[in-house]
This record gives sequence, C-alpha cells and structure tokens, in this order.
Amino acid sequence: MAASLMRFVRGGLGRSFNSFRSSCVLQQTRLQSSDSSETSPTVKPKDAVTHNQLTAFGEYVSEIMPKYIQQVQVTCFNELEVMIHPDGVIPVLTFLRDHTNAQFRNMIDLTAVDIPTRPNRFEIVYNLLSLRFNSRIRVKTYTDELTPVDSAVTVHKASNWYEREVWDMYGVFFANHPDLRRILTDYGFEGHPFRKDFPLSGYVEVRYDDEVKRVVAEPVELSQEFRKFDLNTPWEVFPAYREPKEAPPKLEAGEAPEKK
Amino acid sequence: MSGLLKKTTGLVGLAVSQNPHERLRILYSKILASLQTMPQDAAYRKYTEQLISDKFTHVKTEPDVGKLEQKINCGQIEEVIFQAECELALSRKMSEWKPWEPLVEEPPPNQWKWPI
Amino acid sequence: MASTTAARAAVGAAKVVKPIFSRDLDEAKRRVRELYRAWYREVPNTVASFQLDINVRQGRDKVREMFNKNKHVTDPRVIDMLVIKGKMELQETIHIWKQKTHIMRYFHETEEARPTDFLSKFYRGHDP
Repeated sequence: MAASLMRFVRGGLGRSFNSFRSSCVLQQTRLQSSDSSETSPTVKPKDAVTHNQLTAFGEYVSEIMPKYIQQVQVTCFNELEVMIHPDGVIPVLTFLRDHTNAQFRNMIDLTAVDIPTRPNRFEIVYNLLSLRFNSRIRVKTYTDELTPVDSAVTVHKASNWYEREVWDMYGVFFANHPDLRRILTDYGFEGHPFRKDFPLSGYVEVRYDDEVKRVVAEPVELSQEFRKFDLNTPWEVFPAYREPKEAPPKLEAGEAPEKK
Repeated sequence: MSGLLKKTTGLVGLAVSQNPHERLRILYSKILASLQTMPQDAAYRKYTEQLISDKFTHVKTEPDVGKLEQKINCGQIEEVIFQAECELALSRKMSEWKPWEPLVEEPPPNQWKWPI
Repeated sequence: MASTTAARAAVGAAKVVKPIFSRDLDEAKRRVRELYRAWYREVPNTVASFQLDINVRQGRDKVREMFNKNKHVTDPRVIDMLVIKGKMELQETIHIWKQKTHIMRYFHETEEARPTDFLSKFYRGHDP
C-alpha cells in the first residue's frame, strides 16, 4: 500500500507539479501583460476551484484503483485525464460508471491516436460524462498493432460503433466485441487510413471501366509529383505546452547514461 | 406532494418505489456485507463503507421520503435505489478484480509524455 | 486470465505478449486451415450468387494464391490478425454485402503492367 501511494505521488502529484509549473509560466506572462496595462480577453481565466476538485477526484480514483491507474493529470483546460494500463479498461470504466461518487454513465466518445515513434503506438481515448455531477473525465490507455484491447461494449453500449470505427481506421483489435467489422471504408478496402504511415493519396484509385462494365480499382498513379506544403503558422500556437527552459539540462544530466 | 401518492418519477424506465426504505435497507446491508470480504486497508472499501453507512443512517433515522431525498442529495429516491444497485454489482465485481493490488505494469518510458 | 499467463510462462517466450487468439503456431495454423476450408466451400456459392464470369476452379486458385501470398508469416499474432481480416472478408462475401466489383478486384483484370524499359516508359508519356 505504501509503495502504491509512493507511486501515486510520483505519477500523480509529480505530474500536477509539472502542470503547476506550466501554469506558473502562464501566470507570469499574464502578470507581465497586466503590468503593461493590457487585458487579454482571449485567455481563459483560471478556475482554481474546478482544478482542485478535479485533482481531488483524480487522487480519489487512483487511490481506489492503484492496480490499473498509472498516472492522473489535470490539463491546463481543466480536463481530468486518467492514464490506465490496457488490462484495466473494463474495471476502470465499470468503476467510473457504477460508483456512487462517479456515475460516469455516458460514453461521449471513444477514439484513438497514432504516434508511431512510441513502442505502443496507439493511444485509445475514452471520454465519459457524468450527468449527475455535471463533469467529464478522459480515460486513456495504450496498445500496439497486434495487442488486443478489451472491448468496452459490456460497460457502455455506445462504444460498439466507436470501436468498429477505431478498428476500421487504426486496426486496433477489440477482444470480445460482439460485431467487429468495417464501418466507414468500402468493402475490399485494404489498410487502415488513419494510421500515420498510410499515404495521403491512398493505394488504389477507382474508375468505371467500359470494357468490363463495372467499377475497377487500380494502383494509384499520380500524373504529378505529390506536393508537400508547409502549412505551419509562423506563430506559436500552444505556448502553454512550451517546455520550461531550465528543464532540458537537468533531464540530460539524469538521462545521460541512457543516451549512450 | 406530501400526503399524496407519488405517481411518476418523470424518468423513463424508472418506476415509483412503493417501500424505498425497505429496499434501500436491504441493498445497503448487502453492499456492506460484500465490502467485508475485501482487505481492511483497501481504499475502495474504506471510502464506500463510509459513504454507504452515512446514507444508511439517513435511511434509518428519516422516515419521510422527501426529507430523505434532500438529506441524501442524490436525486429522487428511485435514483438512489438504482445507484445502490449499481454499487452492489460493482462491489461484487471489485472483489473479483482486486484493484487495490500494486500496479500490474509500469508504462513504457515516455508513453504519456506529450508533446513527444 | 491466469490460465493464459500460466500458458505463456510455460511457453517461455523471450518477450511476454498478449496473444490475440492462438497461443502457439500450431493453433494459428489450425485457424488458417479452417478459414481456407470455409473459403474453399464458399467459392461455388459466390460464383453462382454474384454471377461472376469465372469458373469455380479459377476462384479456388485465386483463394489459394491469396493464402500463399502470406505464407512467409510465422508470428502467431500476425497470422491471427490476417485470419480475422480474412474472416471479415468471408462474412462480407457470404452476406453479399460486397458487389461484383469488389469480388472481381481480386483478379486485377484491367491492370496493365508498369513499363520497365526506357522506350515503353517513353511511349507511356510520364514517369521516366
């Protein structure tokens, strides 16, 4: 128990320190702007009460289920995120649905994120809503191309089609799904279009052939070289996610043996 | 509504309960019994025992349904019954899953690091 | 779950991974054979119900070719994934969710081979 508490301190509070630090950065910038007598109505005001509530609830959940919850964090937009081990999908979702203090009975969304540089390249994201407490929570887990994730259909009926979509678009297999098949792509379509390694132009192009009197699919052939546009704005879009300037030297000092 | 019989809860699929006190008493004692099988220091047992016994004392001391709903403050009494049913099912599943054990597996390094 | 863990420990794999269905190669191969049999039996029905311009022999040859295309795969998890996808294809075929064009796509009838030598590339006009 003590060990698990330690882990929580490391995983949860350490993370909240991080967010606290970034919020400090934000506050500093805001203070500076107020010094120059400028009000910035586009910046969302900080809501400390909600933030503390969410942090407290995150700690509550991770204390109850230390077996599955790896990390809890509250983002800068006051969204509670719970990172879990893939084995814990059903227990954690069931707990959040059935516990009297949680009652996240609605599944709003289920989707995946593909980050090919990671060993477990897919993140599965569950967004839940509690109507009773007017609150939302995001549960995240991870998997790779070949590891099946337990299907959440037994917990939330709404996840049926969402999981079919994730299967179709990313190729994540959901174990014990009642009806896992394609939902968005055409029959005979090969590949999973939302994977980062799926080319933007696709693999086949479709046309009507007058000789065989049907639609045929052929390997895509671009008459012009595929052009790449640099669409990045010159402005920094997410200043809140800028790494603090002091952090990198520290990390390098700690991780130096790993890099060799 | 005091004195009158409640006709509907206004919620689809949720019938008016005739004797909510009796039903809640049964459910809460069942939940507490099911919590007894868990280890003493499990956080789930600790918090749920506290939560349920608080509500249980309200149910025992308050005979009037309207005031009881206000005291429990979790919606109508039928909803409270439904929540108790869910909690009972959950507590039975929880003793199967044993979520108070230490973490099954640490995440791979940088799994939750964002931006990459 | 405990039984699968025990089985994995018994196999003694270097990297412990969660199996999709099959715990070893033999089981995966059995699934592949089951799928092949199902496809083999389905071919005559498919040819009849879709009114394809091929005979059963050609269809079965194509099925065999599709299976042979992946015969180098030895990882049971990859085999399982391919079997899952093959089963979904079979389901789509049996229920006639597919249309004639989707079935005939396996045969690549209209595709021309890409030119390889300089002159025919030149005649094609682009992609020198």
